[in-house]
Amino acid sequence: MSQMAAAAPGAPGTNGAPVLKACGLGKRYGAHQALQGVGLDLMPGEVHVLFGENGAGKSTLISMMAGANQPSDGHLEIMGERVELATVARARALGIRAVFQEFSLIPHLSVADNIALGEESVGTLGFLAKSAMRAKAARLIADLGFDLDADALVSQLSRGKQQMVEICKAVGQAPRLLILDEPTASLTEHDTQALFALVRRLKAAGTSIVYITHRMHEIPEIGDTVTVLRDGRQVATVPADTEADALIELMTGRTASDIYPECARRPGKIRLELKHLSSACGRVKDASLEVRAGEIVGVAGLVGCGKSELGQTIFGAIGTAAGEVLLDGRKVVFRHPADAIRAGLWYSPADRKHDGLAMMRSAFDNIGLSSLMFGRNRGFFRRPGQEGRLVSELSRQVEFPFSRAHEPVSNFSGGNQQKTLLAKGLAQDIDVYVFDEPTVGVDVGARQAIYKYFSELSARGAAILLISSDLPELLGMSHRLLVMRDGRTVAGFGRDEFDEHAILEQFF
Amino acid sequence: MSTMTIAKSATPASPGTKPGVLPWLRQHRSTAVLLFLFIGSLVIFSIFAPGFLSLENLTNVGRQSVYLLIVSLAQLIVLICGGLDLSVGMIVALASVVGASVMAQVLAAMPDSPTLAIVAGMAAGLAAGGLVGLVNGWGTAVLRIPAFMMTLGSSSVVFGITLFISGGVPIYGLPPEFGNSFGFGRIYGVPIPVLVALLMVVLVYVLLEWTRYGRHLYATGGNLRAAELSGVRTRRVIIAAFAVAGVLAALTGLLLTARLDTGESNIGASLPLESIAACVIAGVTLSGGVGRALAVVVGTLLIVFVQNGMNLMQIGAYAQTMVIGAILIFAMALTRR
Repeated sequence: MSQMAAAAPGAPGTNGAPVLKACGLGKRYGAHQALQGVGLDLMPGEVHVLFGENGAGKSTLISMMAGANQPSDGHLEIMGERVELATVARARALGIRAVFQEFSLIPHLSVADNIALGEESVGTLGFLAKSAMRAKAARLIADLGFDLDADALVSQLSRGKQQMVEICKAVGQAPRLLILDEPTASLTEHDTQALFALVRRLKAAGTSIVYITHRMHEIPEIGDTVTVLRDGRQVATVPADTEADALIELMTGRTASDIYPECARRPGKIRLELKHLSSACGRVKDASLEVRAGEIVGVAGLVGCGKSELGQTIFGAIGTAAGEVLLDGRKVVFRHPADAIRAGLWYSPADRKHDGLAMMRSAFDNIGLSSLMFGRNRGFFRRPGQEGRLVSELSRQVEFPFSRAHEPVSNFSGGNQQKTLLAKGLAQDIDVYVFDEPTVGVDVGARQAIYKYFSELSARGAAILLISSDLPELLGMSHRLLVMRDGRTVAGFGRDEFDEHAILEQFF
Repeated sequence: MSTMTIAKSATPASPGTKPGVLPWLRQHRSTAVLLFLFIGSLVIFSIFAPGFLSLENLTNVGRQSVYLLIVSLAQLIVLICGGLDLSVGMIVALASVVGASVMAQVLAAMPDSPTLAIVAGMAAGLAAGGLVGLVNGWGTAVLRIPAFMMTLGSSSVVFGITLFISGGVPIYGLPPEFGNSFGFGRIYGVPIPVLVALLMVVLVYVLLEWTRYGRHLYATGGNLRAAELSGVRTRRVIIAAFAVAGVLAALTGLLLTARLDTGESNIGASLPLESIAACVIAGVTLSGGVGRALAVVVGTLLIVFVQNGMNLMQIGAYAQTMVIGAILIFAMALTRR
């Protein structure tokens, strides 16, 4: 750790200039204001927690601090001097390192090679000093107290271990400011404690730390100051020992009724039922639930708790290891998504870019894809007139502009991409839906349209399982809510029992 | 690809804008480049190559392009679903040798029924090609071997089989009716191979644009995971794509056999590269999901025109390969930016 102490500027406790100062920072994407007027002072030796819902602007903020993104308004100052962080390399040169949720590791290189990447040491003849690099990496790992093998291939490590390699890369160069984006989301308890110990040591050496977390209990444990963001605005900056209740109130402050439509609950018979379902991938361990016709059942839980895998297992995209799926009381086994769609069950995936849409193809092609096999216009030869009518009708239902249906999906905003994805699910006779994170990266206007579409579906008698990491959305939309933890359904709440604290407690 | 997306989203196209020439060019850059190269080469050769525009020469070009055209259509189908077929050339040779052997043996056994020999030989050749395609598709879709490696390996295996069957020498003894019809025959003055190729263009066009299978093919190549989650059985789609490509390549082998009047094991070696070039010039992406049949027809004709024009200008074969390669790189440079 001596190397860090030597390089880190300022002694602990110096109340000098902030390491990084954000002045009126804002970011606009087209018409969408992702962030506006954020002012922060990151002091040496301070752990500054950023807290807010998904889409509140946390990621935008840190990406600008790390040089991955440029502000549209305002500017940044480092040690009192105004800087332009045009690239990540520039930010690194100034001592800013970030560990994002998306890793920058080379899968086929070893842990040591990854840690040394970009800062390889060379011997006298210009060849790589492999053993020296390996020894250095091993020293760093031991110093940090992580449970990592320097020779292991990164591709063979779990997500949590990869996270640790990423952290090693970041702190190996003794940063002045370290940004950690939900670092504990995939760490075990042991590694989390090692990470906290590291954070405390860096803190003592005067490093300033920006820490994003959704885990309430980590805030007083590790943080000094909390900045709460909501809808791109800085709501408050308060000490980290502020009551959790107060923080949640600051975070969710909006009036729920504004964007969530009324969903009358007239539950019919049980459509979908899971009995002790476990998935072949091991992420779903014992999940039981039931969804009735005309009912929206929410599934909440941390990222990685297995709720997305639950949806895919029901749909046949992931194999079933144990337990049963019942549709209308009959046991069903879906070996392929095609079986599920034919039986009247639809799953709308969370990651629209990778799992949902062919981005280079038109919205028209994407929307009509499964209808050719399962929809009203099924048949070997396409019938363009009928197909056109179908797509235009569906576009109207999800409020997608049909005039743009022949443009490739990659041209669209997140909202319109999501509407395209949702329209796909309407193109065939389906009345049991599983929606996985249906509003990720979608602006408020599109959200409203999507929620309206859910309530219309539900009013028509569809059974909807709504999987989401956005708790306010679940509270606003679902008739009942289940919490998943470690692949198990651990708690259920009726609408009249909805209480954010009680539900959040079940997450951990 | 991501930079492209960002550039596009930065200038949002308002829904009501009138379609102008410039936006169309920007949207269809690869089509524009293809037409530019095609018309440009036509103009150049009609000026500098003596007799380029004569009916005789154009018929000649049409006949020459048949073989590359059908193989390019095969390549197109595989490229759209996200694959690549390096074995098309060796399938051509295999179909030639298998078809010729069966024809020669059936004819030797029953000299009075050449039609039966032709039908049996063609069926055997097409089946052999389809079988190789099935194996390619199975390796790619089920064993998840990258199409590049799978078809590279299978083309070596197929070449060996072809040499085994033929012993490395041409196979003679084909019914003369075979060459007279499928090699040199004409209907209303149009060579039969050209008619066969046109029929294949129509069939492939309909398959890609007007059938459910075509949509599934584009969806599988465009985003395999999304297609799978939309209920498309992507394994079957991929296997079928390779099988269809194998049959088309085999058809080419049989047409060549009719033209040469012998079964040959040493034909087709240049076809994998030329067919990929024809597709890529026509705007087909190697990552899958994009490509049109009619554009591939133009891309193939471009390559054959350039070869023919340079022949007429008495430019040697060495220079010709250089020019073809340069055109490919040039076309890429124009479309990629």
